[in-house]
Amino acid sequence: MPRGNFFLSAFLWMVIALLVVYPLSILVLESFRIAEPAGWGIHNYLEFFQDTYYLKTFANTLVLSTLVLLAATLFGIPLSYILARYRQRGKTLFTALILLPIVLPAYAGVFAFIIFLGKFGTVNLLLMDMGIISKPINFIYGLHGLVFVQSLHLLPFIVLSLSAGFTTIDPSFEEAAEVEGASGFRRFITVTLPLCTPTYLAGAVIVFLWPFTDWLTPMILGQVDFLPSVAYINIAYHFTDVHRKYMGIVAVVVSSLVCIALFLLARRWVERKKYAGLSKGTTSEGRVIEPGLLIRRLSYLYTLFISALVLVIPIVLGLAAFSRRWVFEPFPTYWTLDNFRVILLESPLLIKNSFVFSGIALVFGMVFGLPAAYLIVRTRTRGKDLLDFMITLMLAFPGMAVGVSYLLGFWKGFLPLATFWIIMPLALFARRLPYFLRMAHSSYLQLDVSLEEASEVSGVGKLRTFFYISLPLLVKGVLVGVVMFFIMAFQEISTAIFLYRGGWETLPIGIYLNWHRGMEFGIAAAMAFLMIVITFILLLIISRIGGGVLKAAWGPGGT
Amino acid sequence: MAFIEIKDLFKRFKKVVAVNHVSLEIKQGEMLTLLGPSGCGKTTTLRCIAGLERPEGGDIIIDGKPMLSQGFVQPSKRGIGMVFQNYAVWPHMKVLNNVGYGLRLQNIPRPKIKEMARQVLELVGLGGLEERYPAQLSGGQQQRVALARALVRNPKVLLLDEPLSNLDAKLREKMRFEIKSLVKRMGITSVYVTHDQAEAMVISDRIAVMESGNVTQLGTAEEIYKKPANRFVADFIGTMNFIPGEVVQVQTESGAVHVRAEFKEKILCQTTSPDATTPGKTVYVSIRPEDVEVLMEPAPARENLFKGTIAHKAYLGNFLYFFVSVNGTMIRVQVPHDLPQEEGQEIFLSLNPQKCVILF
Repeated sequence: MPRGNFFLSAFLWMVIALLVVYPLSILVLESFRIAEPAGWGIHNYLEFFQDTYYLKTFANTLVLSTLVLLAATLFGIPLSYILARYRQRGKTLFTALILLPIVLPAYAGVFAFIIFLGKFGTVNLLLMDMGIISKPINFIYGLHGLVFVQSLHLLPFIVLSLSAGFTTIDPSFEEAAEVEGASGFRRFITVTLPLCTPTYLAGAVIVFLWPFTDWLTPMILGQVDFLPSVAYINIAYHFTDVHRKYMGIVAVVVSSLVCIALFLLARRWVERKKYAGLSKGTTSEGRVIEPGLLIRRLSYLYTLFISALVLVIPIVLGLAAFSRRWVFEPFPTYWTLDNFRVILLESPLLIKNSFVFSGIALVFGMVFGLPAAYLIVRTRTRGKDLLDFMITLMLAFPGMAVGVSYLLGFWKGFLPLATFWIIMPLALFARRLPYFLRMAHSSYLQLDVSLEEASEVSGVGKLRTFFYISLPLLVKGVLVGVVMFFIMAFQEISTAIFLYRGGWETLPIGIYLNWHRGMEFGIAAAMAFLMIVITFILLLIISRIGGGVLKAAWGPGGT
Repeated sequence: MAFIEIKDLFKRFKKVVAVNHVSLEIKQGEMLTLLGPSGCGKTTTLRCIAGLERPEGGDIIIDGKPMLSQGFVQPSKRGIGMVFQNYAVWPHMKVLNNVGYGLRLQNIPRPKIKEMARQVLELVGLGGLEERYPAQLSGGQQQRVALARALVRNPKVLLLDEPLSNLDAKLREKMRFEIKSLVKRMGITSVYVTHDQAEAMVISDRIAVMESGNVTQLGTAEEIYKKPANRFVADFIGTMNFIPGEVVQVQTESGAVHVRAEFKEKILCQTTSPDATTPGKTVYVSIRPEDVEVLMEPAPARENLFKGTIAHKAYLGNFLYFFVSVNGTMIRVQVPHDLPQEEGQEIFLSLNPQKCVILF
């Protein structure tokens, strides 16, 4: 192994050891601690799996995951088929709209739908005004609301993975079925859909795991009997009851294990089932179908409907952001810039923190991600596959696990980082580790190695070749990765909520706190609206660099 | 009466015309090949017959039923079998299910499907592989699965879209004969698409040579080889020498045309259609390399005798190729492999007027 690669590898492993392995092992270790009498053992786990309440939350989470996946799949199949196969007017715009939730913070959606569909939200009030109903309908509070909000938030993952399948399967597979006598629906069920299962699964696993990591949405909707929410409450509000804290940690570990196990299982299955076609002559667009008039109208309406649902989020938050005292009225009546004045004058610190922390995290991400991508794609350094694996695994880890483990690992002891603000960008970096790497990784794979070899043959060393040849050629993919990373770090809350101290609040934390204190809905909405605007601008920047909003939202190479 | 009738078929992709008012008639039990370079519209024509493309104009009549003029007939309702270039053997189904797919849609009972699939698999030489997945088969075997799938329903029409282009050369040659004898035995009317002229000549009863959306020539292999309709066909099928020149004299009654060649000598061509040309016109005197006779000595009685120098000599196993320069014009000549002449030597070429074809 060349010495340069060895040092690079050592550096990357040190980062992984310090920021991933160490804190996560502390987390696991801590879950074995017993409060009274102080000691160690597996009692917490035994209690967890014997206690009817914890078992119930576990079962609830599984049910929620199943329902969310089911809903997202049912709505996602026709949607992705329409987007992938039909030529429609405004297709790009619709696609961008439908994918929007991926880059919007999950909590933004919840707030918007509470205002829109809540007990005295816009829809209920309008329906009552029109005399259609006399009592408000409970659209949103409860399991059904949770399923609705989460599946809308996760719909893009299903749409992205399925439409990737629909566009990449060899058209002749379907044509053969048609020639053999299968028409339309039959062909879709027997050939198209089965061939899409591998790509579908890649998205489906992300959707299924989400309820195991999202503690905030259930809590906002008044549902707490889910694993991540219970874990959050136990850890954040344990006060003097140390045992509760340990049980919370157990819950975090359990959900992390579920996530990792399912993630790995899905990955293995996908690898095994990859259907490689012999095809070469397919267009990048894939197969395009010209549907009949009725189908065309229906599919147009359907796309419009889903797009409208997504649009509710920015519109409602916008209305709330520019108004005050929007209560018991379908639409705001008092318009003001007060909310923004409050944010900009009284707490500009939040905005500054958000930018600074995400920015520093991004620098960390690049310093780590670029060499890691190089090492994984271009060298045969020992252990590089394990490195790749460890980094990818972070995709599956719940944000809470990272937050709690940092709190435990860096609070006291040999590295009391948690007492300095640097812990915030460090945690953001660790949490979003795979995003930048994946992006750099996939664009690195597309870079022909002979371009670099030509430089080395011309007498330029490896390092300089990287800066003169590779980096300029990678710059597009890397820039998309940079912005994507920034967006993801910018809206991060599950990790940051455990680590912030007074003065370190970011915008997402501000939103949460303002909602939590109650009655500051306008300010929370204004903050969320601000985040949407910033995210939107960033997305525009990527679509400028990378061409195409679709790519912007997900980057090259897909999952 | 024609079994498949293509009438004035027109298909374009955005601004590119793929099939330009093509008309063809295919007889019952006939095997017709659409031959041409890539982009000539042969595959599009085939896909129009299958119903996988919707043409803008014209009609296709299969066994008396119009496929376009009385409403578009879906591919699933046309009763055809098709073999795709990349086989399109569904990777998520076993061989048996691939072959039995179409039968299952016809609500045929399962044991019967199994029986029929087994029979046709036996026929294509895949007996015993029913339970395999396509990924466990070689390219040639997948190709046979595709063929079995297309044949199992005993279709009225079999369409083959470059079915052998993904196989290696040896297997390709073997499969040509296998496909031909199988299809002939079953008596299925078939349309075969290829860009390989040798394949076309082996497999088809008639060949339709296509060029940029048009059928340039339709005929048997022999007709097309011996009497190419134009320079494109002559060049595409086999090897041809094109000697540019100017017509100086046309004798209509005897069919003799005198052409002043590029190399300043007159060539006499004996044509059947001398009216097609007039003095002063620029034409190409065309002759196949194997039709040029090589003489060591000048033979004054001969017509079209030219002196030349061997510029290159190539050994091709069963024969030699001479590239002979006649006053700077290069003429390819195929000669027996035991000819001792070396590069630089002078020889005489005799161009039989009966074999000289005038092309434009």
